Amino acid sequence: MKKLFTLLLILGIWILPATSHAADKSKASSSPIYVITNDDGTMHSYATFFVAGGTQNDPTLTFQQSVNTQGLGIGGGFFGTPRLTMLPNSSTQCLYVSDAGTGDVAAINLSSKTLVGNFSGSINDIGTSNGIGLAMNQNYLYAGYTLSNTIATFSVGAGCTLSFLGDITVTPLNGGWIAGMALNGNIMVVTYIDGSIESFNIANGIPIPNNDEQNSAGFAQTYFPDSVDITQDGHFAIFGDAAVPTIVEVSDLSSGKLAPTVMYLVSLPTNAIGPGVNSATARLSPDESLLYICNSQNGYVAAAFFNTSTGKVTPGCTSQLLNNFYNPWSYVGGLQTRDTTGTGNVLYVAEFGSSIGIVNVTSTGTACTLTEVAGSPVADNSSPGLLSIQVAPPRPF
Amino acid sequence: MMKSMLLVVISVVVVASVWAQGPVCPPRPMPGSLVVNPLDLYSQNGALNVNLTLQNQFGSDQFEHYCYVYTDSMGNQTEAPTLRLNPGDQLNLNLTDNIQPPYFGPQKVQKPHMDMQFPPPPVKPTNPDCNGGMLMGGSTNMHFHGLNIPPVCGQDDVIYTLIQSGDPPFPYSFQIPSNDNPGMYWYHPHAHGNTTTQVDGGAAGAIFIEGTINGTQGLPERVFVIRQQFKNPNSWLPGPNQLTINFQPALFPDAPSPFINMQYGQQEFWRVANSSTQAFLTLQVIYGTTPQNVQVVALDGVPLNPPITENQILLAPAARAEFIVPGLPSDEEGVFLTNGYNTGPVGNPNPPQQLLKMFGTTNSKVEPPPDRGSSKPPAERQRFAGLLTQQPTTQRNLYFSEQTVGSNGPTQYFITVAGQKPKVFSMDAPPAITTQIGAVEDWTIENHAGEAHAFHIHQLHFLLMDVNGQPVQNPELYDTFTIPAWSGSGPYPSITVRMDFRDPQIAGTFVFHCHILDHEDGGMMQKIQVNPN
Repeated sequence: MKKLFTLLLILGIWILPATSHAADKSKASSSPIYVITNDDGTMHSYATFFVAGGTQNDPTLTFQQSVNTQGLGIGGGFFGTPRLTMLPNSSTQCLYVSDAGTGDVAAINLSSKTLVGNFSGSINDIGTSNGIGLAMNQNYLYAGYTLSNTIATFSVGAGCTLSFLGDITVTPLNGGWIAGMALNGNIMVVTYIDGSIESFNIANGIPIPNNDEQNSAGFAQTYFPDSVDITQDGHFAIFGDAAVPTIVEVSDLSSGKLAPTVMYLVSLPTNAIGPGVNSATARLSPDESLLYICNSQNGYVAAAFFNTSTGKVTPGCTSQLLNNFYNPWSYVGGLQTRDTTGTGNVLYVAEFGSSIGIVNVTSTGTACTLTEVAGSPVADNSSPGLLSIQVAPPRPF
Repeated sequence: MMKSMLLVVISVVVVASVWAQGPVCPPRPMPGSLVVNPLDLYSQNGALNVNLTLQNQFGSDQFEHYCYVYTDSMGNQTEAPTLRLNPGDQLNLNLTDNIQPPYFGPQKVQKPHMDMQFPPPPVKPTNPDCNGGMLMGGSTNMHFHGLNIPPVCGQDDVIYTLIQSGDPPFPYSFQIPSNDNPGMYWYHPHAHGNTTTQVDGGAAGAIFIEGTINGTQGLPERVFVIRQQFKNPNSWLPGPNQLTINFQPALFPDAPSPFINMQYGQQEFWRVANSSTQAFLTLQVIYGTTPQNVQVVALDGVPLNPPITENQILLAPAARAEFIVPGLPSDEEGVFLTNGYNTGPVGNPNPPQQLLKMFGTTNSKVEPPPDRGSSKPPAERQRFAGLLTQQPTTQRNLYFSEQTVGSNGPTQYFITVAGQKPKVFSMDAPPAITTQIGAVEDWTIENHAGEAHAFHIHQLHFLLMDVNGQPVQNPELYDTFTIPAWSGSGPYPSITVRMDFRDPQIAGTFVFHCHILDHEDGGMMQKIQVNPN
């Protein structure tokens, strides 16, 4: 009896993943995975759709079409600012793309890949210096304007439409500007790239400060949180720091406010400045086992292990220098995972200077590898300075 | 009643208009006009006494002007005169700070929070302007770039000296070293945090230590101070800007070119300072369509022996070149231009620009400078003599690097001694390097950033020994030198320079930094303390 149970268990272990894998494959073949860019062009701006294909070891990215946002970008800005957003579920049909030059949010229907409309906040909302960050939930979309330091709130209507509700002004502690944004449940966390961070209660739509604005632990060493991500259960906020070494910071959100951050040194760059400079973007894998980090200034991506119970971060692995760094592209922007489960398996990396890098991920749970694939990067010819990308279907949180 | 009301209204309007305009700088030349040498002020009887007032104005050209105003005995005002002294002469310069708000033009993006407290010196000085203090929008001081003089308040100190708007005239008084090299130097503000804004506004002028530079005797002399003005000097965004030559905008072909008239066939002696805030100049003289070989006789104020022949001269921001230009052939015209420079993958645009046009004439008015009897050789051994054969006592490694929050900045700039932690410079930071008088040190300075930097140290010149690890065939002295951008892979670009701390006059604390002034203001600077024996 015991042997039979063991046999069934083994069969179960063998069969279940295989079935699940088959289901994934079937899903992948029926609904394509899109990698979408905010091209941020200053003369014309597009959301460009690529189709992710190929195999695990040989992933590909094929241009499909560019959708004119009918607005203008600015060709650059903060690394940690998310310029595209969508609801974190696989059935969502609405994609939102910010136009920093014209100050609006373009809504795009994912099925038809057509522009639904452009939606603006108030005349006080200006993002022409470093972009407009976006974050959303089922009911509201939030747009952080970097120059005016305002957050506009829109209600999400039928057919991807938006209605402007109002805006608030934020006051960074050290003269900075709003950059990173992320939300989970009733809390939204933002960074101000001057070392200060803040959270807001968004239960009723327009953000209300949680009165927890503070300097991060890294501030004293001029490590400034740039991007922010939040765990699926809302327990931790994780910040990617603009810093010379690879630094991330973690804040416990379980009280409903930002607790003082804990700083984690992921890697000391070679010769104090080589591979591993400027960890401006940090993003969790779908299973939250890995934290992916873009070393914005030195052309590498890194991964660290994340403990969802404790919030601890431990060093993992670093890629080789990504292809064509500094010739012609010059900064690593944001990244997204291809798959919505596990480690995400493949990373798509926005490269400032019109390309998308493709990096394979392997992980045993205690060791990992990041390997740029042959054929990477893929050109995104309509972007003068790519910093933000999105994958549809998105990570489920 | 009506009449008196009208007078009141007129008075209010006049007062308001004067208030709005603030101090007035002398008018600057319009594009397309003749380029003339700045006003020369010569030392007499071993001294040059000069009063300068630094003031600012938002100009009709939509640029913020910062002007060093000199007023002669007739009440005529001139901007940024050239100071000419012999070795051993005394310069007595009273600087009045009349900078008035608003300090910036309209709609300008400000830098991040940047309060800076200048530290007090170890010994309390008598002049309160030598006692540090809080950097304000109207704060300034003066640096005598390239002069090998003491880092002492009232001479060439930029750490403790902070002059505030409205303070009594601040007395600078020092002696040009009697063994210093004849050549071109320059003066400019160096109040850390305000340097970019003020130099960008035009606050810069030439200094010459007189003396014989072989091959130049009797030649007509031209002095060109090339400046750069940004619409928004305080933005990290590389916005609209223009080069100027002796304050005349060089905008060709969008506007008529500045020009000079040259005597056909007559060689000329040109002395050029790159007083721009961040432009790397690749200077070239072209007659017709043919680039000309010029004979470079001095760099950074130091005569070359022997001179070198070049058809293009790279000048880092703050560097100077003095060269003999061949005569303009009959019926030819020429241009003087910069060919632009690749500042690297994340560097700012540094495009080519025609600086001036040269027309031929048979009656040029440009004359050689007066013979002031200064052609006798220095009484003492020339400054930095024998440095090449000195055995260095210390080897140090330093590097430039950057860290930024986005592609548009703002950026933190670092110059770091290897082994130390990269830090944005603050005025109250301890010295990154401590050494002592008598030391001779070799410094290898790498560039780990994706944009070019310009290394500069106060108080002394350095001998360029190696470039990218390759020995320089004929090492020369410089006070500012370009280190190109790192390409993203492979070895970092580097220079190795020999530092001469043997002169007891330079004991004290002073700074080294990148002379892209936005980088300097942004923290790419450190202190060195040279202890006396």
